[in-house]
Amino acid sequence: MRRLSLVGRVVVLASAVAMVVVLVVASSLIAIVSLRHAEARESRAKDVTAATLMLQSIAADLEASLRGFAITGNAQFRSRFNAADKELPAAFQQLTKLVEDDPQQLHRAEDAQGLLNRYVSDVALPIIEIIRPVNAKAAQSQAADELEKQSANEIRDELDTILNTEQARSAARASHARDLARASIVGGSVALVLSAALVLLFGAWVARQVAAPVRRTSEAAAQVAAGHLDVRVEEHGAGEVGALVSAFNSMTRALEHNQEELLAQNKLLRESEEHKRDLISMVSHEIRTPLASVCGFTSLLLEREFPREEERRYLEIIDQQARRLASIAGDFLDVKLLEGGGMTLDRAPFDLVDLTREQANLFFSHSSHLLELDLPDDPVVVDGDRDRIAQVIGNLLSNAIKYSPPGAGVRVVLSQDDGRARLAVADEGMGIPPGDRSRVFEKFYRGSEAASAIGGTGLGLAVAREIVTSHGGEIDVESEMSRGSTFTVELPVGAVAE
Amino acid sequence: MSPRRPKILVVDDEPPLRELVVVTLGDAFVCDEVDNGDEALARLSGDHYDLVMLDVMMPGTSGTDVLRKMRDDEKLRDVPVIVMSAWQSPQDVASALEAGADRFLAKPFRIDELGSMVRGLVSRSA
Repeated sequence: MRRLSLVGRVVVLASAVAMVVVLVVASSLIAIVSLRHAEARESRAKDVTAATLMLQSIAADLEASLRGFAITGNAQFRSRFNAADKELPAAFQQLTKLVEDDPQQLHRAEDAQGLLNRYVSDVALPIIEIIRPVNAKAAQSQAADELEKQSANEIRDELDTILNTEQARSAARASHARDLARASIVGGSVALVLSAALVLLFGAWVARQVAAPVRRTSEAAAQVAAGHLDVRVEEHGAGEVGALVSAFNSMTRALEHNQEELLAQNKLLRESEEHKRDLISMVSHEIRTPLASVCGFTSLLLEREFPREEERRYLEIIDQQARRLASIAGDFLDVKLLEGGGMTLDRAPFDLVDLTREQANLFFSHSSHLLELDLPDDPVVVDGDRDRIAQVIGNLLSNAIKYSPPGAGVRVVLSQDDGRARLAVADEGMGIPPGDRSRVFEKFYRGSEAASAIGGTGLGLAVAREIVTSHGGEIDVESEMSRGSTFTVELPVGAVAE
Repeated sequence: MSPRRPKILVVDDEPPLRELVVVTLGDAFVCDEVDNGDEALARLSGDHYDLVMLDVMMPGTSGTDVLRKMRDDEKLRDVPVIVMSAWQSPQDVASALEAGADRFLAKPFRIDELGSMVRGLVSRSA
């Protein structure tokens, strides 16, 4: 089922409360109106009763004065009769007006009026006529007396019926009004209790759905402000509040993630800062060592006399160490080129066998390491930059010497297979820890602590890899701790030179 | 007949540096050369030396380790040692002196500085 939004829920609940309140007010109004209605009925019933009683008294007057006249023949009774007769139309008009919306009572009133009129015209007036010429005794005849009594009784009955009916109705109406009022009071009270309960429920609901999650969220926000980014709010609450809580949680998740990233970046930066410091100190060391020979021998040559042979030897050392300095500077220049992608190759076909032998002689002529050189008899011609490839081979050979103990063997094997020249340089050195193997080709990477006692800029292999890959070749390393490392360079073989 | 020439052990993994020290000190001293720490300790336990010129950063046993072992060894405790290093931050110098070095010589050094430092230490201990 689709969840209603918070606004939707509040609207629905508020409407329910409003409806109950309207019901309460409406039932009260109904009770008041019906009570007033019953009151009006009762007062009309009283009027009807009064009008009927008036008619009864007129009828009684008519009867009494007629009797008086018939017995005495006194004209005073006659005039009383006439006065009562004159009052009749007005009294009937009043009654019919009061009961005009009640057909039954109206009918009865008209009957009573008819009876009275007939009583006057058919009974009373003839009796009076008889009395005038003859004596009073005639009027007292049995028949006339009977007729008069019958008529008078009929009228009395009719008026009594009207009276009784009106009183019975009035009583019924009053009782109905009381019932209605009682029902309205009961209904109103129930509705009042219901609406109070609903308002309380509404309050509780708002507290549960809105206030509690908002409070929890604000507490969590305070914790976040205090730096606890792992705080999460229980995802509970209707519509917008639920959305707020869930948005808060995703915000803290994002903040936590960002903080972790920042911390990681910060750590990297710190490491890189340390790395840079180490690098500067390492570079200054790398430069100072050859510089010490250059400066020292230069001073010796300037200050002392030496036999020509020795002089030449010292000059050679100076030359060699100066070249070493130049090569360090070259490494840095190469790195600059690597970073800028601006290394250009001066390609020409050359014999890799010849170049390998040349480099091996260069590096092993003054070394205590035992070189084992395994070269093919036929030339292996590569189309590439001879000086750059010489740099790669030189780097691998000097590493093999640098990272293995004096007197250890270094095996250099060149082979050609399937259009690829493969040069392997294997040493019997300390080996490269597994974690460092993938990183030795990164620039400035100097490996583990064991290797850091050995000088170097951490640039040679990075430059070597760049040179090899720009020739379309590959460079790789295999290593076993305390057994040694084997660096392998594979280069595509070019056309055989003329 | 001149007196016995002082005997000096030069320990450095860089051959040109060893040669520079040897040539600088000249005929007034007898110099032996080794290129690593272990060999230096082996030589020291066999022969008497009047002074050791010791490089710090070498593959295998470092100059600082050699120095500590010497200072722990009763026979070698008083042999003067000049530590020479291209690592010359205040911490590097302090750790060399704490390990028992008599002098610290920063590379590159002046040859007359090397000469006077060696002569000073040798004459004092003689």
